[in-house]
Amino acid sequence: MTMRILIVEDDATTLKYVAEGFTAQQYSVDSATDGQEGLTLAKHNQYDLIVLDRMLPKLDGLTLLSALRTSGNQTPVLILSALSHVDERVKGLRAGGDDYMTKPFAFDELLVRAEKLAQRNVPEPTSTDIEVGSLKMELLTRIVTLDGQELMLQPKEFQLLKYLMEHPNQVISRTLLFEAVWDYHFDPRTNVIDVHIAKLRRKFEELGHGELIETVRGAGYRLCKGH
Amino acid sequence: MKLYEVLDIVFAKGIKPYQSSAWRITLIFSTLVTILIVMLVSSLYRQLIIEQENQVDTHLHAEMQRYQQLALTVNRRSFAAQIKAADPKTALIAWKNSVDMVGALTFLPDDMPFLPETREFPIFTGGPDKLHILTGGLAMTNYGPVLIATRTDQLAILIDKFVNAAFWAVAFTLGLTLALGYIFSKAILRRLVQYNQLSEQIEAGHYNTRLPVTHQQDEFDMLAQQFNRVLDTLEQNLRAVRGVTDNIAHDLRTPLSHLRIGIEQLSQKPIEELADARAELLEELDDCLATFDAMLSLTRIEEGQQQLDVQPIHLTELCQDLYDMADVLAEAKEQKFVLHTPNDAVIQGDKYLLFQALFNLVDNAIKYSPEGSSIEITQDAKCITIADNGPGIDDEDKERVFERLVRLDPSRHFKGTGLGLSMVKAILSRHKATIELSDNHPGLVVKIHFK
Repeated sequence: MTMRILIVEDDATTLKYVAEGFTAQQYSVDSATDGQEGLTLAKHNQYDLIVLDRMLPKLDGLTLLSALRTSGNQTPVLILSALSHVDERVKGLRAGGDDYMTKPFAFDELLVRAEKLAQRNVPEPTSTDIEVGSLKMELLTRIVTLDGQELMLQPKEFQLLKYLMEHPNQVISRTLLFEAVWDYHFDPRTNVIDVHIAKLRRKFEELGHGELIETVRGAGYRLCKGH
Repeated sequence: MKLYEVLDIVFAKGIKPYQSSAWRITLIFSTLVTILIVMLVSSLYRQLIIEQENQVDTHLHAEMQRYQQLALTVNRRSFAAQIKAADPKTALIAWKNSVDMVGALTFLPDDMPFLPETREFPIFTGGPDKLHILTGGLAMTNYGPVLIATRTDQLAILIDKFVNAAFWAVAFTLGLTLALGYIFSKAILRRLVQYNQLSEQIEAGHYNTRLPVTHQQDEFDMLAQQFNRVLDTLEQNLRAVRGVTDNIAHDLRTPLSHLRIGIEQLSQKPIEELADARAELLEELDDCLATFDAMLSLTRIEEGQQQLDVQPIHLTELCQDLYDMADVLAEAKEQKFVLHTPNDAVIQGDKYLLFQALFNLVDNAIKYSPEGSSIEITQDAKCITIADNGPGIDDEDKERVFERLVRLDPSRHFKGTGLGLSMVKAILSRHKATIELSDNHPGLVVKIHFK
């Protein structure tokens, strides 16, 4: 089933970039270039996700969002904003946004976030195990095995690996990984994530699978499915 | 050219003396002086007139008594002779002896009242000043009514002269005060106009201009001194801002020129290297953006534009989170990383911002301390200390590190925006917390106090 997505964005370049990206991922994309149009579209159609710019002509993004939520519409909303400040993020989430992203952004990261939000509408898979290639994770017992051999992971490593395994073959940015593990939102100009990933990779290497976690320069990390 | 256009040109060059406040004060002063003089002169005038009238009355009364006595003691002929011989300078006497008029007048004016009532009447004489004004009345004697009068036109002249003199006195005073006021206004305005011209220069960008200060130490000098002090501060701040702008330009110029070279070289790269080259450029670009974001956030926090998401924060919990996040970094450098939290305390603050600030300090401590050294976080009530055995910071640099874009590591070996500590300080100030750097012999101790 194709996902329906609405993009409300007044900047033509950004709109084109985002719309093309989603279309390439087999999404069905509608777009609006001002708040009024966006609200009308959102009210009269059923979408899996709305990507909403914060500053819009005619009707401001946050006002649109509040109007939408007041009318009982619970479609997941991802706010895109040029305002990177922490308080803006808080405002956006309080107005009913489900996630918040600052411009400029990597499309890969937007895609991961969008998928995560859109999937919220479909029921969770019943399975409590995740499997990526020869890597297996039991969520209940928190046992991780590689080629049938158990890996001893620390809690943070477990959380990071879980996030990577939920998005196999996708480039996951450091910000996303950071948010997956910690409840603090700030640009982590630190290599905390890199150190954790390095430790994780070393444990894989011991079992001869160091290549499983790939570093994508300038973007983040990717968990490879095959060998 | 229309009149108002001409006026515009005349007035445009600054204010005229008659527009000044000094002139307004002059006007008020002159009005008061004029009123005072007019009051003085008019009261003097009244005194003078009453005195003169009294004298005339007394004189006439004395003359009346004299002629009444005379009428009782001498016969009619002698009486007539006496009247004829009367000195007109003392009093003017006229008596109607049955048909003839005896005395100074050839007729008796009509409707003359009996003394002490008097009346003014004019007479014509043949002399050079033909019209005389007299005041007088009738006195009843044994030989009938006698007119007794005295010349009062000299009094009228005196009054005339007096009024004239008074008018000129007032006019002179008024003229003098106004002229002096105008000159004073002009003198005061000259300094103001000078100040005005100098501030126009400052407005045009000559920030090193200063107002002249004389040795008189008057109110203008005080104003000029204060103004100069304001200018000093302004110029200093301006220079600081310029310095920061230069630093930003410098900090961004390097990565931007790297980007330029990188993009230029992309076309010559073999296809298998393209992905790496692109990623490298993206990293460089992200660093630039991070610097921009940090600048913007810093300004917003410093100037109080950013609203704090205030909530109760347990400092022990915050430090525990800090430790958990940073632990892996210390571990990677085989550093001994310890957390002490003897007493918890709750403060009101923005959890994320505070965490960001504290993490920055811990991250720095780990980054700049050698492998195998030890780093200690201590949270005791409302005081948090972060101590390391790194290279420390020289005393003269301890204040400077909080300035924007100041980096003590000239090689820029460690990645960073140069804004981290400025941000830390700004966030802590917003929370009314103090930060203090001291030596750990060797190393650095950062001490933070919450109120």
